[in-house]
Amino acid sequence: MTQATTRSRSAVAAHPLISAAIAILVAADIFFSVYTPIYARLTPKLGDFPFFYWYLLIFMPITSLVLWLAMQLQKRLAADVSTADASGSGDAR
Amino acid sequence: MSHVNATTFTIVIVLFVIVTGVGFAAARWRRAENMMHLDEWGLGGRGFGTFVTWFLLGGDLYTAYTFIAVPALVFGSGSIGFFAVSYTIMVFPIVFIFLPRLWSVCRVHGYVTPADFIRGRYGSRGLALASAFTGILALMPYIALQLVGIQAVLTVMGVGASSTNTFVKDLPLFIAFLVLAIFTYVSGLRAPALIAFIKDTLIYLFVIVAVFYIPTRLGGWGHIFGTAQAHYASISPVTGKPVGTFIPTSKSIGSTQLDFASLALGSAIALFMYPHAITGTLAAKRRGAVKRNMIYLPMYSVLLALIALFGYMAVADPVTAANVKKTGNAQLAVPYLFQHMFPSWFTGIAFAGIIIGALVPAAIMSIAAANLFTRNVFTEFFKQDASPALQTRMSQWASLVVKLGALLFAVELPHTFSINLQLLGGVWILQLAPMMIGGLFTRWFHRWALLTGWLAGMAYGTIAAYNVKNATTSHWAASSDIVFGHTIYIGLTAVIINLVIAVLFTLVLKAAKVPEGTDETLPHQYTADPEDAPARAPAGVGAQQ
Repeated sequence: MTQATTRSRSAVAAHPLISAAIAILVAADIFFSVYTPIYARLTPKLGDFPFFYWYLLIFMPITSLVLWLAMQLQKRLAADVSTADASGSGDAR
Repeated sequence: MSHVNATTFTIVIVLFVIVTGVGFAAARWRRAENMMHLDEWGLGGRGFGTFVTWFLLGGDLYTAYTFIAVPALVFGSGSIGFFAVSYTIMVFPIVFIFLPRLWSVCRVHGYVTPADFIRGRYGSRGLALASAFTGILALMPYIALQLVGIQAVLTVMGVGASSTNTFVKDLPLFIAFLVLAIFTYVSGLRAPALIAFIKDTLIYLFVIVAVFYIPTRLGGWGHIFGTAQAHYASISPVTGKPVGTFIPTSKSIGSTQLDFASLALGSAIALFMYPHAITGTLAAKRRGAVKRNMIYLPMYSVLLALIALFGYMAVADPVTAANVKKTGNAQLAVPYLFQHMFPSWFTGIAFAGIIIGALVPAAIMSIAAANLFTRNVFTEFFKQDASPALQTRMSQWASLVVKLGALLFAVELPHTFSINLQLLGGVWILQLAPMMIGGLFTRWFHRWALLTGWLAGMAYGTIAAYNVKNATTSHWAASSDIVFGHTIYIGLTAVIINLVIAVLFTLVLKAAKVPEGTDETLPHQYTADPEDAPARAPAGVGAQQ
């Protein structure tokens, strides 16, 4: 078990850049939707839509994209370390 | 108002009959050898892939109350109602952080409810009971509001609304309810999972048609936004203040940016602690299916944003606005809008979509509440050796009782009361954050400290919400109040108090060396992705047959 912990810790340690990128992607996605002052305004308009309204609409596909990227990066992290990672199943019960 | 359109009525009935058939047929879908197991009845065999999970979670999270209440809030107050849109965006990155961990640890240990996890993590029946109690308490008014959503549609259809006799008036609701109760009893989670396909199709259909068609009738989006902006800036004769806001203000009191952000953030953190959301998640087959749904579910949020805009369409359409004003019930804004804008056959499709959209989450919520009762109250405190078959039977009956309770809520109590309780439900469920989300990452918190924090958060949240008043109501006027001169969501303040107390008490209890209880989970189990269904379920994957 301790072995498993050190292994996942070392995954972060072995790829500090990828790990940081995942953290930044997810944190930025949360920040730009939580921090309302960025988008609580009328202009610039997109067509007839005031900024506040089209920003929220556009943010949804962006969230999908950001989380997809994060998941791809996580896969890369996992692929490097989990060659023997069948230990997660079965042994628990 | 009391005349019934035959075309609309017929289409609603036909679609309802189809859904009923699907609900019963679902019992045979992905059938396992031994159905008398909670993994089967309560979690659909824990075998749903990304695709089914998307429909199930989408159908589960976006309830009829969303379709009715969000546009109603927008209609009444303007931009603050869009917090729901912002919240369904930020919920996915937030949940991406902790939900896969919850799925993994629950799969490894065969946990069925969130309280099972609390029990295993902290070795505390008391803490698990507190979380189960919170879950059931928050779900009851939520189910009741699904029924209120159905009532709103039936009222606009003119069905039964003219009678003064409660029984006759609510007869259609009773019938819908009875059908829901029976197919949930028989098919368990498989029924809402299968019906969710119909629900989502109908809702996508009517929302997309509405978004392209209605603006052409109302002079385009420019006119809709223009009318709304002018409307919310006008001064209300009752309060002497503007009717609402078109953009959240940068002031410190009222519909402010902080109020907007705190409502969105609080609701986003709370969403996946609701037992029905966790039930939908735990039914997934793989960890990857849960993650991939965080990527695909924002597509469902687009629908919610468009539905919120219906509130502005209702403002821009003089006939709808007048109808709503006459009844004094903003909940009727969307049904009236559709009735006035669409030909009667399409109104039927839209109304059926909303009604079916209420049945899916109501079924999942009652299953989630029943599982909590069976696992964390009945089995834990009354019959420790209950067999899987007995637990399943218990859950089936509990789901009926829960729904009956919700029906009484919807019929007997004033609707404003249910709505207030639902707001309060969000505040309550948020108080599980330190033990649930905290517990997924660290075992640092002491179990009694978490219990104390929870109690403080619940008490503060309830009292603060009770004391909110405005010009027209003396209590429960909103879910935000003023702290240090700023309007902020009560749930967020409460959970901060909760967290501070949990931290302080943990330090004290650790210093006093109070026993911390045993933790049956192991670090690597939070990232595990078992290939197969849990070993103790005889047949978890229906595809084997």
